[in-house]
Amino acid sequence: MSDDGPSRNGDDPPAPASDDRWSQYRQRLIRLGQTSVGERILIAVSALLLSLVVGTIIVTAAGLMATCRSPVLTFGSTTLCYDPFYVFNRLFLGALGDPFTGGWSPLNAQFAATLRETTILVFTGLSVALAFRAGIFNIGTQGQLIIGALAAALTVLWAGSLVSGTIALVLFIPLGLLAGAIGGGLYGAIPGALKAYADANEVITTIMLNFVAVRVSLYLVRNHFADPTSQATQTRTLPVEGQFPSILFDPRTDFSLLALLIALVFVGGVYYLLEHTAFGYDLRTAGIQPAAAEYGGVDSARTILTSLTLSGALGGIGGAVFVMMTLGKFQTGIPSYGFDGITVSILAGNNPIGAVFAAFLFGVLKSGSNVVAFATNVPPQLVGVLRGLIILFVAMPEFFRIIGRRLARGQSDRQATATAGGGADD
Amino acid sequence: MEQAVHLDGITKRFPGVVANDDVDLAVEKGTVHALLGENGAGKTTLMNVLYGLYQPTEGTVNVHGETQQFDSPRDAIDEGVGMIHQHFMLVDPMTVTENITLGNEPRKWLGLTVDSEQSREQVRELSERYGFDVDPDARIEDVGVGVQQRVEILKALYRGADVLILDEPTAVLTPQEVEDLFRVLEELTDQGKTIIFITHKLGEAMEAADEITVLREGKNVGTVPADDITREELAEMMVGREVLLDLDREPAEPGRSILDVDDLVVEDDRGVRAVDGISLEVRAGEVLGIAGVDGNGQSELVEAITGLQMPDEGTITYDDVDRTTDSRRERIEAGLAYIPEDRQERGLVMDFDLVENGLLGSQHAADYTSKGRIDWNHTRDHAEEIIEEYDVRPPDANAHAKSLSGGNQQKFVVGREFARDPRLVVASHPTRGVDVGSMEFIHDQINALREAGRAVLLISSNLDEVQSLSDRLAVVYEGEIVDIVDPERVTEEQLGLLMAGQQPDAVPTIAANGEGHQ
Repeated sequence: MSDDGPSRNGDDPPAPASDDRWSQYRQRLIRLGQTSVGERILIAVSALLLSLVVGTIIVTAAGLMATCRSPVLTFGSTTLCYDPFYVFNRLFLGALGDPFTGGWSPLNAQFAATLRETTILVFTGLSVALAFRAGIFNIGTQGQLIIGALAAALTVLWAGSLVSGTIALVLFIPLGLLAGAIGGGLYGAIPGALKAYADANEVITTIMLNFVAVRVSLYLVRNHFADPTSQATQTRTLPVEGQFPSILFDPRTDFSLLALLIALVFVGGVYYLLEHTAFGYDLRTAGIQPAAAEYGGVDSARTILTSLTLSGALGGIGGAVFVMMTLGKFQTGIPSYGFDGITVSILAGNNPIGAVFAAFLFGVLKSGSNVVAFATNVPPQLVGVLRGLIILFVAMPEFFRIIGRRLARGQSDRQATATAGGGADD
Repeated sequence: MEQAVHLDGITKRFPGVVANDDVDLAVEKGTVHALLGENGAGKTTLMNVLYGLYQPTEGTVNVHGETQQFDSPRDAIDEGVGMIHQHFMLVDPMTVTENITLGNEPRKWLGLTVDSEQSREQVRELSERYGFDVDPDARIEDVGVGVQQRVEILKALYRGADVLILDEPTAVLTPQEVEDLFRVLEELTDQGKTIIFITHKLGEAMEAADEITVLREGKNVGTVPADDITREELAEMMVGREVLLDLDREPAEPGRSILDVDDLVVEDDRGVRAVDGISLEVRAGEVLGIAGVDGNGQSELVEAITGLQMPDEGTITYDDVDRTTDSRRERIEAGLAYIPEDRQERGLVMDFDLVENGLLGSQHAADYTSKGRIDWNHTRDHAEEIIEEYDVRPPDANAHAKSLSGGNQQKFVVGREFARDPRLVVASHPTRGVDVGSMEFIHDQINALREAGRAVLLISSNLDEVQSLSDRLAVVYEGEIVDIVDPERVTEEQLGLLMAGQQPDAVPTIAANGEGHQ
């Protein structure tokens, strides 16, 4: 950042100019808080490119320091072990199954893996975003996902012991999703009720409940629902009617277009709920200005409880999809989809539609990492650094934008004083 | 006499607004100078220029006879200009001493650590010199507002201020604390300090100041000695015309009781009885005014009546239905409109556009929502009607609330609430910050509601407003109603005494049935 004053364009709010460095940064943050959608996309793309530049430098540096048998480049005694361009090529193009080579089909296995990750992340991203919009920081999506996954698996296994055939084919998937929603929803309702009626901080309670969920599922599966034929802590495999059918894609990819479609329906549903219903209005108002919500007749306790329940239900459905699409059974040690959902949501600016794109980026990075590990000798830790770097770069502008909006709100009082039309100088 | 401050031809423009227009201001050393004007007259902007928060578009700032260029408050402080903002900037968990010396602590051990003994001594000395009763070791969170204000003043003095600017210093104080503050100001000027205080209250300016400068719409209307001017003359200078709006209106013909408050007790956050046994009644077709110094329980009373705070004792009845424990939403549905005191916190969602803000409070009403789905087209029409009728500028329903000026925000809130076709209106400072034209329009609307047989409870710290609009005027002091008087016959002096909790002679009291007696 340059030392001379920031060049302000005309639509900046009237600002007390000051050589105070902080106030300059403050103005920049406030400006960032007012960016339009187009500008935000531009910022995200620039951040992505910048992260690739920084990533290239890091991979090159690491490649110079590492020792290996077959270096990519050798100049004198220095060797470059990793080719940064190839790493990024694998990370992105690999995740899509090499779209620029001949004979590419969108139905390839690697692209399916990407979409498989995307599908689950859409649910967890929505879960976090919905709570965020209500002003609630739900860190417990992971726990809600685990409980939802377990509830779905146990319900479908139980139903499978009763019926089979066509009824099962029609019934089991909705039943599993419903069970996941109820399981996750009730598990989200616990911190919801604690916050609404006992003023317990949801960040603390949801984090703690994540641990509870892991342990409870471990206990239940190991001691009551274990698959006797397996060494792993897992349930029996779900009946085939309770597993998502792989449409068009190879069944071995564990991806189902139907699940992705359901995820997109939920995206539309959450968008509709937030923007077009009275409940969504209550929720958004409570989220951005609780005092005004109270004034507008919003029952804050009920809104908190309902939104955390819905948020938990979305996480739970994500768990159900994970069980019924990816695993085919419940198994302990579920990947951190819930935590990734937090980043997906921030990346998407807590916008349900944006969550689809953020989840896709995440999906690409997740499945691309595997391709990189497979195709190069770059250590997985370094790939992790690259992933983290990309996420960090893309998420940070969004994060600062949220801060900028907070700052702008704090400043609006002072600004009002300055305008002759209406001074809140009392 | 030596001039401590001389502002010469200050003009401050913001995009689209001239906040100060060629303002001259001369303040003599060792005097108290009041800067008087209505809300939005540009008082605070002018002082922010003097304090270096804003740079003037045109004009110069002279302090102690020298032209100054303040780029930041730090420059102003270096030249001995200190400002005490309305919202105190103190660190609550820290002690008085720590707050005062913060950033300028005396050091010891080669500057490695704070010499807390010395800073304590310095603060004690300073506090004694000006006769402040402040315990240097008390924590800010444990002391009252009046003491916090004195700490702010001490902070400025500690940094070497000779000229002290106080922004609306009495707004948060009780009458006793106001008295104490004025004594402190006197002590300070006796010792050669210069005080400029911003206020919109006539009485205070006349009581505490040596000279008064009146600002109106960003211009200096004139500077007068406080001793030879009357309240009426001052008021006329402030508003620009004869003040007492003599509304042409029929005497009230109150109908049946719409709001009945019985023996209400509301405790504030600290467990103090902010409302201590208030009973009142507002009938159809009348305006009941509530006058009092800010902070005498008005906010709590209003919040209890409107359902934002549950009372601790007593009952609230609308239309003969007990609504004491009803939720806010149930009360809105029962026909209550409420113009809140704080439009930016409560009345509007600052990040929503006006369409969304027009829905606030009606989001579950059948007019706008069926089966949980909001009819955004109808909602948009509704917002546009309010904008049109109340002349909200800019006339753009897509504008976000935060982009509007305070006066336009207020107009939108008033428009939205009156559009509910309410049976009962609670209006808290309904014209705060709006321009004179809009003020009259809002007053006309309140009268129209009264004539249409609605019940109106009006709370305002603007005495002219409550006096001219009310049919009966209740004066509150420390959470109790001191008296209910006839607003047409009561004098300002009598009101002032009542507001200070005293009972003057020959007050034209008025009984609940409207029959006056002496």
